[in-house]
Amino acid sequence: MSDFLKILENEIQIAALSFMAVVYAIRLVWLFRFRNRKEMTFTAGSARAGAGYSLMNIAMPRAMESTRKRPSFYAQFVVFHLGVAAAIAGTLIIPYAPGVFEIRPVMRLFQAVIAAAFGVGLLRLFRRLTNPVLRTVSSPDDYFSLILLILWFAAGVLAVPNRPEAGEWPLILYFGLTAFFLVYVPFSKICHYLYYPFTRLYLGRSLGHRGALPPRGGKRAAAPSAKVRA
Amino acid sequence: MPHIEIEGRRIEVNEEGFLANPEEWTEETARLLAKAEEGLEELTAEHWAVVTFIREYYLDKKLAPMVRKMCQATGFPLMKIYDLFPSGPAKGACKVAGLPKPDGCV
Amino acid sequence: MKRRKTGPSGVVEAPLDTRAQARAKEEGLPSVKDGRLKTYEPGDNVAKFLDLLDRRVSRSLAVSLTACVHCGLCAESCHYFLARPDDPTMTPVWKADQIRQIFKRHVDWTGRLAPWWVKARTLRDDEDLNRLKNIVFGSCSACRRCTYNCPMGVDTGLLVRFTRGLLTELGIVPEGVFNVSRDQWETGNQMAVTETDYLETLEWMRDDVRTELGDDTVDIPVDKPGCDILYTINPREIKFDPRSIAHAAKIFHLARESWTMPKWGWDQTNFGLFSGDDKLGAFVARNVYEAAERLGVKRIVISECGHGYRSTRWEGYTWAGHEQKLPTESVVVTLKRYLEAGRIAVDPARNAEPVTFHDSCNIARSGDLVEEPREVLRRVCADFREMFPNRRENFCCTGGGGLLSMAEYRPLRLEVAKIKADQLRATGAKLVCTMCHNCVDGLADVIKHYKLPLRVVQVLELVSNALVIPGRSGS
Repeated sequence: MSDFLKILENEIQIAALSFMAVVYAIRLVWLFRFRNRKEMTFTAGSARAGAGYSLMNIAMPRAMESTRKRPSFYAQFVVFHLGVAAAIAGTLIIPYAPGVFEIRPVMRLFQAVIAAAFGVGLLRLFRRLTNPVLRTVSSPDDYFSLILLILWFAAGVLAVPNRPEAGEWPLILYFGLTAFFLVYVPFSKICHYLYYPFTRLYLGRSLGHRGALPPRGGKRAAAPSAKVRA
Repeated sequence: MPHIEIEGRRIEVNEEGFLANPEEWTEETARLLAKAEEGLEELTAEHWAVVTFIREYYLDKKLAPMVRKMCQATGFPLMKIYDLFPSGPAKGACKVAGLPKPDGCV
Repeated sequence: MKRRKTGPSGVVEAPLDTRAQARAKEEGLPSVKDGRLKTYEPGDNVAKFLDLLDRRVSRSLAVSLTACVHCGLCAESCHYFLARPDDPTMTPVWKADQIRQIFKRHVDWTGRLAPWWVKARTLRDDEDLNRLKNIVFGSCSACRRCTYNCPMGVDTGLLVRFTRGLLTELGIVPEGVFNVSRDQWETGNQMAVTETDYLETLEWMRDDVRTELGDDTVDIPVDKPGCDILYTINPREIKFDPRSIAHAAKIFHLARESWTMPKWGWDQTNFGLFSGDDKLGAFVARNVYEAAERLGVKRIVISECGHGYRSTRWEGYTWAGHEQKLPTESVVVTLKRYLEAGRIAVDPARNAEPVTFHDSCNIARSGDLVEEPREVLRRVCADFREMFPNRRENFCCTGGGGLLSMAEYRPLRLEVAKIKADQLRATGAKLVCTMCHNCVDGLADVIKHYKLPLRVVQVLELVSNALVIPGRSGS
């Protein structure tokens, strides 16, 4: 393995990660300078229960009409984000626990998950380019982030076998893109995972306090034959 | 400007069916508005009692009268006003009387 | 994904109409003179808008503005888009972006460094502000259905209200919004009802109920101290349809309730919710809370109104900075209590026609009452049937968010009401019950426009119909 790749897999990642952490900290400080109004009313439910329910939203596709009516969309979301998790794990396993990928079935599993995410990424790019609503609202950042992630997944599939002697470029691409993402993410929509706990917490607390979430009792609200209006 | 066409006549109205130019109201307009907007084939003396009161009140005070005043002046109970004008005093009777739409979330 | 063309935008291009504002200034109305009610002045409104944006945005709004990932899932939750599927400008994501892009450009950092990259945008002039007015007042009823369908938890409904508030502060509002705000500031109620009219209408309804029950002890007390309940109403009940007051008086009498209405502070509706003006919201809500404290009641009861319930029960306390001390409930909850305790007797056979229930956005999505009206209706109706979707997933009546006072947006609102019309028609019901006066008119408009064989009723009317009055037979 070349010295360049060694530094790329380790020091450069740490530097990029530190940069991201610092920017995130600044971002959170910025966010916390905005204040929320104090709640002054008797509760009709529980802010805590509402917050918990709201935070669990990603694991409850049947809770929202939008994900209930588009189960394949939700499935894609799961595959895509599992791919992200696997690809991130890969950037830690390769430099610090390379033994894991020497276990072939494990390595193949990672490849499969990342490859599936790659496929979903392509589907999502197609959707973003052809769906009139998404075309109207999408920004260059939306397209760029997605395209780069797709490239990163491709690099991940090729890099995960971890054979620098057979050619270093997949690993250089993989770790290079990782470092780039770490620096770029705080300025991009990809940062949404930082905001997710906050949006869901505030919404959940507010609606939970009012007893609107979690939904209580009563029969299912959805139509007996849930037709998707495309 | 939206309009309604009825019996070959064209009446200019606003988006809610209220007369666009309240000064242009005539009894004939009232009859046509009642037919077009309230589904009333003809206006009886009781309808006219309400419409005349509303019109005169509006010309005097530049305001739509409260339904209570309508009931007092005509002697009709509230239910009767709703029987005569299905859309109610504001959207039904005041409209037929050629008033502009009353303000408020209504 | 089916490839679909993009059609023309349905956003109504209404110019800024300041005639009513000019009249108010000429007349020297107190609320205009002392600056409570803002009017439009040509000048550097964009700079003022941006300054307000920066100062007013709260933390939850800031995350709603930054967290959107443009996934587009909100699109199919909105009746504006469902009725106009070729029009991306009807989607919640697009509407929210109209304020989000400005936030990104002026408050958020990436937008300030490289605006074109994240589609951050600035406002150029008052024309742009007027366009924004047409979008946030005219293409959205702030029903929050999109909020409930966003995987990130972005609250587009609240963003729309926030943006409205910024524009209201600059007087860049539809004329209907100005008129109603003016009336509520000047007279304390949304429809400029005078105290004389209010008191005389109450007396009139009291007399009607006395005649109906043949009981001279029926009363509608005004400013009676030391009662259990303070009953507050919607000015529409005085101005246009006092039957609901009669129903309430009858029921309170039969339940032997200790109740009063206040002479001042009786308006539970609140146009501040729709205009985004927290100051107006605070003023109106505080009137009610102070009346309750002045009269020493134990509980505040709100007649059937969606935005009134949300404002008086929930938002008003926060706007007014007033710590809640008294239970504050909807009259439907009061009715439920009476029925469960047997304080009134009902016969559901007296409401024989099939009834369906429309959930008001401000009560079901922004409030807590979903099962309570159903529990009441099941006791007073013979044939209650749900519409689909229902409860928190129900569709807006299409007249929400103050749209009923904005005539210029009516054609678009009725066009997109097709979604509601289909929903109503599918129930096969003859009556649609709602616990909101706004929804009564919103649904009535839908029914008339789409020629549906339905009539709108409220819970008080159905309970009143079903009453079994001791010592009397028949209905």
